[in-house]
Amino acid sequence: MDRRSFLRNSAVAGAALAAPSLISSRSRAADILKLGCLFSSSGTMANIEGRLNSVVQMAAAELNAKGGVLGKQVEVMVTDPASDWPLYAQMGRQLLLQDQCSALFGCWTSVSRKSVLPVVEQNNGLLYYPLHFEGEENSKNVVYLNSPPASSVLPALEYLMSPDGGEAKRFFMLGSDYVWPRTINKICKGYWESKGFDESSWREHYVPFGFSNFQTLVNEIRQFASEPGGQPIIVLTVVGSSIPDFFKEIINQGIGATDIPVLGLDVLEADLEGLDTAPMVGHLNCWAYLQNAEAPANDAFKDNWKSFVEKGNLPYSPDTVIDPMVSAYDGVHLWAKAVEKAGMADPDAVRAASAGLSFDCPSGYSIKMTDENNYVSRGVFIGSVNDQQAFDILWQSEDTPKPVPFSPYA
Amino acid sequence: MRDLVSLALRPLTQPGGLARFWRGLGAVTMLIVASANPVLAQAPVQKRVLGELCAKGVSNQVKGITNLLASVDAGQVDPSWGVEIFQALGDRALICGGDTPLIVSEDTVRLATTLEPTKRSPEKKQGAFVNLRLRSQLDMGVAILRLLSEPGGPTSAADLEQLRKRAEIAPVALIERAVAMPGNEAVAEGLRDILAVAALEDPDPAQRISAIKRLAEAPSARNLTLLLNLRDGLSDAEDGAIKGELSSGINKIRFWLEVGEVSATIYSGLSYASILFMAALGLAVIFGLMGVINLAQGELIMIGAYVTFLVQEALKVVAPGLLEYYLLLAIPFAFVVTAGVGVTMEVTVIRHLYRRPLMTLLATWAISLFLINATRVVFGTQNLEFVVPGFLSGGVHLFADFIVTWNRLFAICFALVVLGGALFVLRYTKLGMFIRAVTENRDMAGCVGVSVRRVDMVAFGIGSGLAGLAGLALSPIYTVNPGMGASFIVDAFMIVVLGGVGSLIGTAAAALGIGMINVIIEPLYGAVAAKVIVLLMIIVFIQFRPEGLIAIKGRR
Amino acid sequence: MTDALLFNQGRKVPGRRITDLLSIVLAVVGLSVLISGLTGTGPSSYFLNLIGQIATFGMLAIALDLIWGYAGILSLGHGLFFAVGGYVIAMHMVKVSYIATGTPPDFMLFMGWDALPSYYRGLEYSGYAIILGVVLAAILAFVIGFTAFRSRVVGVYFAILTQAFVYVAMLLMFRNDTGFGGNNGMTGFTELFGLPLAERKSVALLSAVSILTVALVLAVLARLVTSRFGQLLIAIRDDEARLRFLGHETLWIKLAVWGLSAVIAAVAGMLYVPQVGIINPRVLAPDLSLEIAVWVAIGGRGSLSGAFFGAVLISAFKFVLTAVVPDLWPFILSGLVLLVVVLLPNGLTDLPAAMAARLKGRGR
Repeated sequence: MDRRSFLRNSAVAGAALAAPSLISSRSRAADILKLGCLFSSSGTMANIEGRLNSVVQMAAAELNAKGGVLGKQVEVMVTDPASDWPLYAQMGRQLLLQDQCSALFGCWTSVSRKSVLPVVEQNNGLLYYPLHFEGEENSKNVVYLNSPPASSVLPALEYLMSPDGGEAKRFFMLGSDYVWPRTINKICKGYWESKGFDESSWREHYVPFGFSNFQTLVNEIRQFASEPGGQPIIVLTVVGSSIPDFFKEIINQGIGATDIPVLGLDVLEADLEGLDTAPMVGHLNCWAYLQNAEAPANDAFKDNWKSFVEKGNLPYSPDTVIDPMVSAYDGVHLWAKAVEKAGMADPDAVRAASAGLSFDCPSGYSIKMTDENNYVSRGVFIGSVNDQQAFDILWQSEDTPKPVPFSPYA
Repeated sequence: MRDLVSLALRPLTQPGGLARFWRGLGAVTMLIVASANPVLAQAPVQKRVLGELCAKGVSNQVKGITNLLASVDAGQVDPSWGVEIFQALGDRALICGGDTPLIVSEDTVRLATTLEPTKRSPEKKQGAFVNLRLRSQLDMGVAILRLLSEPGGPTSAADLEQLRKRAEIAPVALIERAVAMPGNEAVAEGLRDILAVAALEDPDPAQRISAIKRLAEAPSARNLTLLLNLRDGLSDAEDGAIKGELSSGINKIRFWLEVGEVSATIYSGLSYASILFMAALGLAVIFGLMGVINLAQGELIMIGAYVTFLVQEALKVVAPGLLEYYLLLAIPFAFVVTAGVGVTMEVTVIRHLYRRPLMTLLATWAISLFLINATRVVFGTQNLEFVVPGFLSGGVHLFADFIVTWNRLFAICFALVVLGGALFVLRYTKLGMFIRAVTENRDMAGCVGVSVRRVDMVAFGIGSGLAGLAGLALSPIYTVNPGMGASFIVDAFMIVVLGGVGSLIGTAAAALGIGMINVIIEPLYGAVAAKVIVLLMIIVFIQFRPEGLIAIKGRR
Repeated sequence: MTDALLFNQGRKVPGRRITDLLSIVLAVVGLSVLISGLTGTGPSSYFLNLIGQIATFGMLAIALDLIWGYAGILSLGHGLFFAVGGYVIAMHMVKVSYIATGTPPDFMLFMGWDALPSYYRGLEYSGYAIILGVVLAAILAFVIGFTAFRSRVVGVYFAILTQAFVYVAMLLMFRNDTGFGGNNGMTGFTELFGLPLAERKSVALLSAVSILTVALVLAVLARLVTSRFGQLLIAIRDDEARLRFLGHETLWIKLAVWGLSAVIAAVAGMLYVPQVGIINPRVLAPDLSLEIAVWVAIGGRGSLSGAFFGAVLISAFKFVLTAVVPDLWPFILSGLVLLVVVLLPNGLTDLPAAMAARLKGRGR
């Protein structure tokens, strides 16, 4: 190339690099509080993460309608980390440092959370994390809005091992290969060992993200089930598009919930969207919220979401509400309450003010933050698939048990 | 009756007797009326059973189910009534509470005791939750009662399967009745198998031997487990004949189970191979015959799947009766639309890049990015919901735990048909001849008068159309979303290169080989390791034989 | 290859002068970043981090351009060598932190391991880590290159082969039981060479080192490609058979340049990972390796500075546009690539020449 094009190219490159600082300089106004979103709208997680952006926007709109927080309007900055874990870290850094966001709402997979963790810790930010996860973590820069295994997985396992649940004695663990399924399975094995089961009672298999060809695995499951030793169950920790693929395969091979029940730990109403659930009736999941929860707050939330989707012409189903949506919504309100209580949006102040706060969650429970850590105590629901692509409530906890960050079974 | 007569007469001789006489007469009248109406006469049994089914606690409900079955056995209750009750309970349509249980369906409300419509309105919208233990019992109950009330009906085969799965809790007496019923001949053998399970515990040795023989005739892992348990439970003093029968039975089952496993592996391998082949076929034409690297091939598959979806949606609106056949009806659409997309790609971009294969690579990558995001913008990122046609759902249980699922069989047959069609076009049509000519020697073909540009366009269109058909065949098996194409590209390329660039048979052979090897390795090392090993094997193979399995002679 | 004919028609072979100018500019920028870091003034830590990362991408693009633009070998798997460097440096940081704290990192804890596997031995020495990274990349390049080049696998086939290799590597690294963090990758790095990574000084230092390394690489390569070796490379690109008939053993020439390219890519990876703070198998995704080729194609194949610009331009656009208009970015990228590929065979460096030709009415 010649000198002219060299100069021109460098000018363009320089401008492109300087652009972010130019764009964000105008939004440093003093009367806005900014919230950053780290949910993917493209890639493998897009189908389920994308709607969380809209929920945060809906919650912010609610706050603004009531006059904002500390008199300031709340603005939501949406980014797209494209299901690419390093991009979550990059965007997190950008939101905290460039855009001066007061708090981040983001991450679904534990991988993405672990990518963002160093960023919030090194820059003293706050990440509100709305998914149930494997526990074993207690960072002061993360607010854990949803349940660790002791409050989610173990109650469901206990049910399945009781007479009403079928007296499960043999366990086939099938998960995607990353930190959450591996840790959950480790905790489950510890739990089963404490109940007197040994290694011959379980099998453990991991598949890559996005895996879809479950034919051989389901054959193996059938073989496992026909061996003696008692009722088998499947503990399913695959995520994303693997969930409907797995269910399609077991339906095709004629396995029903009364033969081998599936405890799908990441199965949401949204995952059932593409399936005919009549042959799936009876499979279980557990969350801190189910769409069919009976509470006035839930009806109100569902109506709000429906009108928000329809007014904004959003590409999501207006009739499907999943736990992470509600958890993110709770998170925004908990943040707002903490800011009001602290009188400022500084992360340290917000964290200190969060102790003891409570909020009326659409699940019908009044969720609380403890003094000792950043965990939120949630109610526990065990759901059972019905034939309308949703979950019936099999059991729900009396109140909100205190979360246990570090499991004794791990 | 005698008591009632004396009851009727006694009042006449006692104080207050007249009142009692009239009461007695009333009772007699009611009884006469009741005996004329058999349903009303049986109401007490139904009421009692419903009372137990409505009680709190699963154990009570299970007791209710057992009692209902017992009363069917005793002839007190009609089996079809039992079917209705069990189904209603399972669908949460049985509303307890109030003075009498009701069954609610979409438009009517019926009394549970008599199944007659009533004007009452139910207290709750839904019946009680049904947990797994209860559901298991209900499924079993429905199955056996349906066999009794509708012998030879359309659901008999499914009912037999249900009973087979729950052989341990199935009521022996009722099954014996069902076997004896005329009309149940088709399922009688299967029912006797189930009876054999119970007969294993029979004190009479002859019965046990015949039960063992029977179970050995129906090899399955469950029966193996039953026989093994039986053998472990036998003491040394037991009858030698039984032991001998057990051994031969167990060996027989083991043999057939192995055959079943091998068959299942072959079937899985064939089905995976057909999927790989379908994905690679379009690429085999485009890359193999034309030397164009098409990184957008996966997206063409995706478009084929989306077109199938659109046809399904259109049928829902225009001709719902034909919805079952949407897969077949979508075949021409998927082919034509994807071919159209391919031709557009060829004419606008690829045409200019024929002498520059590395640039076509980049260009097709850009096009694939564009297609993925355009689809995402138009349809959204969510997985598409496909209606599963009746003829594709489930499978048939052939023998010894070997199940042939229909959707994969469809994929295998479809792949064979498409392969046949493609070969036919290539070998026996003029167009095919031109394509082969252009492949072997492009310049020479142009010199002898073949319109090279046109052939390129048409061949690209065919390759794209084939990818569209792959998308159609894959839609019942894989999840369909804008990003689905990416998972097929590397595999497709490796198969085409392995099979021999330019040879469709080679592609088919490569797909078959890869599918089989993958399926054999998978249970040993896991899916990921299998994929890695297979890819490495291909790479090594290509080092030694770069022209692939079946080499096409030609100059590029 | 007709590709090459088109490439050379009527164009000047890119001069050394421009590349040297770029090297000087980069050296100046690198030094100013260094000064900014040491004195604590100047742009934000975020900005310095950003340009440091982009510099490593530029180096990666230069590595690819070396073999593609000059030797005609297209590799769609350069992410593999990038990842080798990145993973080795990550292992080094993990080992250092293990020695300091005594507990293995998170991604080993949930596997139930309580000590580091044996292949981590020695990695606490930064010198060893760097040398190991370079050597591993070279060995890997040798294995791939030797088997491929000896079987005369070239052009398109070689490109697909490299895609397959990087795909295999990705699958292998996704597994958690290989001890490299599996899908979660390795993260949580706290320090490198004794510098705490969170501090602005370290960020600036790393960024400066990256930029200065790129300047150095550019300077060295500029001399290389205009030397006799460079002429051999161009000869291979234009017509390898002819060169072989003239008596040169092209296998070793190709292997040498292929190995050099791999080493440069590995060094880029080593500089990238501490700045971004995480490495995971996503860096081995086939489409990311393809994007490197896109950078080079857009920026200017056969011109080292052009490749650098392509990387910087696309990365900068990506950073900016994915924040501002995330939905539009893929369309912009694909449109840009199509435009460049069809109209400007040598990337944007062709733009002035092509426009001038069009204005003069000559057409292509």
